[in-house]
Amino acid sequence: MSEILTADKHQHLRAIEALYCGHHGWLYATLKRKLGNAMDAADLAQDTFTRILASQVTVIDQPRAYLSCVAKGILVNWYQRKALERAYLEALASVPIQEVPSPEAHFVVLETLHEIDAMLDALPSLVKRTFLLSQINGLKYQDIAEQLGVSLITVKRYMKQAFVQCLMLVE
Amino acid sequence: MLSLRKEPPLAPEVLEEAAEWLMRLSENDLSDHERAEWERWKISSPERDRAWARAQLLQSKLGGLPPSLAMSALDRPSHPERRAALGKLALLLAVMPVGWGSWKLAQTQQWTADYRTRVGERRELTLADGSRITLNTDSAIDVRYDRQQRLVHLREGEILVQTAQDPSRPFLVSTRQGRMQALGTRFTVRELSGRTHLAVLEGAVKVMLAENTQTAPLIVNAGQRTDFSAQTFGTLTATDRNVGAWTRGMLMADKMRLADFVAELTRYRRGFVRYDPAIADLRISGAFPISDPQRTLNMLVQTYPVLVSGHLNGYWVTLSPA
Repeated sequence: MSEILTADKHQHLRAIEALYCGHHGWLYATLKRKLGNAMDAADLAQDTFTRILASQVTVIDQPRAYLSCVAKGILVNWYQRKALERAYLEALASVPIQEVPSPEAHFVVLETLHEIDAMLDALPSLVKRTFLLSQINGLKYQDIAEQLGVSLITVKRYMKQAFVQCLMLVE
Repeated sequence: MLSLRKEPPLAPEVLEEAAEWLMRLSENDLSDHERAEWERWKISSPERDRAWARAQLLQSKLGGLPPSLAMSALDRPSHPERRAALGKLALLLAVMPVGWGSWKLAQTQQWTADYRTRVGERRELTLADGSRITLNTDSAIDVRYDRQQRLVHLREGEILVQTAQDPSRPFLVSTRQGRMQALGTRFTVRELSGRTHLAVLEGAVKVMLAENTQTAPLIVNAGQRTDFSAQTFGTLTATDRNVGAWTRGMLMADKMRLADFVAELTRYRRGFVRYDPAIADLRISGAFPISDPQRTLNMLVQTYPVLVSGHLNGYWVTLSPA
């Protein structure tokens, strides 16, 4: 059993090595063209290979199609992060100065926000809003039901859906 | 984010049970009887124990956030195209672990032709037909050229368009609010807070609203500007002579409120600029090198009764009365 695992592992690393040698330059150039920025492109290319390294892949038929797909996922994530950061910075402008986290804390808060954002992203917007009203704003289910114009049963169903989603993804 | 969970996935029933306990805990204080039930549940199986460890992790993450900031950042309006992309991605990730080798990427899933500038960056592109597009700071476009049309979709930010002649294919710029057809040559388009701002420098542009086909298209001529939502047009006014100054890296301020000036400035620099409300209405005039925000701030301090203080390598800047 362990022998097989080792063989697989070996094959996995060889496949990635070949992928890296053959196509890293292409991926980097493609990302650079899309983003118009060498630094972000280098980071995203690196993230792409890191993610592939963490996978179990051993045979890659269509290297560029495969790379494109993984990189695309990372890119979507990157855009989402940018949108979140922007919303966060806009929000900072409107809260009283004493509620603004210290500059050091910004990064921790942003990182946590990003994780939660990613967990909630696949949920329908009403489910997401229900969850945020309860868990961030601390509203009672009955108040949420009134605010959103849905029944209490619906709020509970949404909450359960959102909690299950988060529990599945939290790490 | 990139780490793969080593432990096996938890059964949906266990996650549902944990979710139900989280709901009961966040809604009510438990009675002694319920509390005992909860304790029994937690230790009744290793899966439940693991599920509850995750629940605690989740609670600690949620509990550590400043509510008003978190709410604004997380409850932002979502981007429909991006959501669609994410939906597809989730599907792919769900399929991914087993058969990568035999998995074929659909031929239709190509990279979108997507150009983008970072905050503070400006970039000029020449398209296949010779049309030129300048992207202002923090902007993104998609380019779709085919036999019938030349289409540029502004995803965010601001562009200056200078079209090349091609009688056989119209040149179109689309935003979430509508579609603009170039009837001449040079114009700027900016998307800001759910509205598109159009200023025409040469020629004319025909505008069609995205969600209101009852309203006749509006022709905007050289020297005119307007803004529009997906449903209605704003008023048509004369452009000021500084339209497009950004393509030369300049911000031309003419008795601009400091609040508006700061809003412009923050488009070009990463980080955050806060100002004392006492100076929000201070009127600023002059030509500022907007692509060099630090110099712009220095010039502001030299000319106006304003103090600049910053920390965290300038990520964080405060303007106060001198």
